[in-house]
Amino acid sequence: MGDLTRVTIDFDTSHLIFPTIIACILGLLGLAIVIRDRARIAAAGSYWRRSWDVMDKPRFLGVLALTLLYFSLMVPVGDLWPNTGMGFLICSIPYVLATGLLFMHERPLRQVVPLLIVALVGPTFVWWLFTYPLFLTLP
Amino acid sequence: MFEFVTPLFLSLIIGGTFVGIIFGAIPGMTATMAVAVCLPLTYSLGLENGLALLLGLYVGGISGGLVPAILLGIPGTPSSITTTFDGYPMAQRGEGELALRIGTISSLVGGLISLLVLDLFAPTLADFAIKFSYVEKFLIIFFALTVMAALSSDMLLGIFSGVLGIFVALIGTYDISDGGNGNLRLVPPGTEYWLESGFSLLPVLIGLFGLAAILEQAEIGVPKGHSSKDIKVGKHSRFSFGVFRGEGINLVRSSLIGTFVGILPGVGGSAASIISYTNAKTFSKTPERYGKGEPGGIIASESGNNGLTGGALVPLLSLGIPGDSTTALLIGAFTLQGVQVGPLFIGNNPGTWDAMIVAMLIANIAMFVMMYYAIRYFALVVTIPKHILFPVILMMCVIGAYTINYGIMFDVWTLLIFGVLGWLFGKLRLEVAPFIIGFILGPSAEIYFVKSLESFGDVTIFFTKSWIAVLLWVLIIGSVAGAALMSKKRRQMTEEAA
Repeated sequence: MGDLTRVTIDFDTSHLIFPTIIACILGLLGLAIVIRDRARIAAAGSYWRRSWDVMDKPRFLGVLALTLLYFSLMVPVGDLWPNTGMGFLICSIPYVLATGLLFMHERPLRQVVPLLIVALVGPTFVWWLFTYPLFLTLP
Repeated sequence: MFEFVTPLFLSLIIGGTFVGIIFGAIPGMTATMAVAVCLPLTYSLGLENGLALLLGLYVGGISGGLVPAILLGIPGTPSSITTTFDGYPMAQRGEGELALRIGTISSLVGGLISLLVLDLFAPTLADFAIKFSYVEKFLIIFFALTVMAALSSDMLLGIFSGVLGIFVALIGTYDISDGGNGNLRLVPPGTEYWLESGFSLLPVLIGLFGLAAILEQAEIGVPKGHSSKDIKVGKHSRFSFGVFRGEGINLVRSSLIGTFVGILPGVGGSAASIISYTNAKTFSKTPERYGKGEPGGIIASESGNNGLTGGALVPLLSLGIPGDSTTALLIGAFTLQGVQVGPLFIGNNPGTWDAMIVAMLIANIAMFVMMYYAIRYFALVVTIPKHILFPVILMMCVIGAYTINYGIMFDVWTLLIFGVLGWLFGKLRLEVAPFIIGFILGPSAEIYFVKSLESFGDVTIFFTKSWIAVLLWVLIIGSVAGAALMSKKRRQMTEEAA
């Protein structure tokens, strides 16, 4: 009986022991969920279709697209003026403005102007704060 | 002795509490989000000052949730859900200000009682935990994960989320500094450069708690804000401490329940307030009044959720296990400053420990003063348009993710990956809190597990090492059984309220 519980750890493969155990547990739990929720999983197609139908697609997909664009452009723009944080500043202003406009329900001038001010002041203040008092280089 | 109490320290607590109340008061934004967004600001503040800011945000964020709960019937944070049951009916009959003041005082009492428990209990628990070997340390983490997952709204999905968090945390190198062999695992070919150290904790946290929350709001179309006309503070409802007559036991019991729930890892404020509310109703002489504007309901809910604040810090500071998602973020603040929390923390960092206690005390008092005397102005916070707030928060999330590791763009992409993952979690009914606690505790669990086997070479060691190991197994089994019972009670309570 004692031999059954004895374990020898090989140092060279010790990095795989715990991930293997966790992967097995995860697989078993996944299987248990599939068995328990089989009806719900079978109806997953209609659930996702319904979610897609009720989703505010312009806002949700718009914010994702803008964020992807923002992240992708920050470094290339920043590389034009290295170590100045300009990539962050130049990309953040239109990002904040565009996202804000996307989230607005109506866009009268008296709502757009405060957003424009925030889009200019917010990123500029953050850029100044991190560049000077905090000495952190932004992209 | 208290040389850390400087004008900057005080300003950070008061400022943090102020910002926290604003975050808590805006529906869709939480204390966790406030801490996540402001975390990078602590980078250059030093540990004590950084914690002062974050603890202020924590206390303020939890307390601020009562403002929309009472005035609009929408919980500002999940922990204020039961405040809506009685607070909103009171506001509708013109007693909004009275309800807000009852909630504020209850929050203060809950916060102070939990702080007292933290001060008395955490050092004792830490002294005890110092004696733990790898085996007991692994079992403590196992216990924490069991409790946290078992108390999720769906136990199986909660456990799955926690284990998934551990799995994701294992991506990268088995660190030599932790006694590992320095080899990579779970890293897809071609991604070794980025994933050598795995995913960084803070971008993961900011993604799950910041970006995911905004994606959820975007999905439902970013609900229109409220105008000042929607807010009925009720100028004619005069407050008197007579409201608390006969509610002393409710106040203390709810605060202690909140503190206890806080000590249980990953359970969260909504459970604290629901359990407190249920007990208050059960023991009340007039339970039929609950849900119709009974001050006792607000007292129970708010003292319960603020009781969580000190309680959640107990396992964090004595065992290195976060009590809720916000304290999980505090681990990030410690990591940022190169400090490891665990049983040795209080003994090795007495100054930081004192600073945390003082910061919590001042944050609770600042919260009380601000919310008691300026509640009318905080009520207006709910009218701040989200189309201005959300883009700024998104930008702050990016800053946070980027600066945390001295400027690594992969961390910004991590933020996006986990933001989308957090949103997907909501769709798949997976739980974020167990995932994140699994993610934080995963690497430690691995080290303690492998080291235990390397040292003893027998799996039975986890059951036979000491009486503490046996006790921990009893607690693990008990927690699962107890959780099933509590889950049933919670479901009944929610159904009754609906």
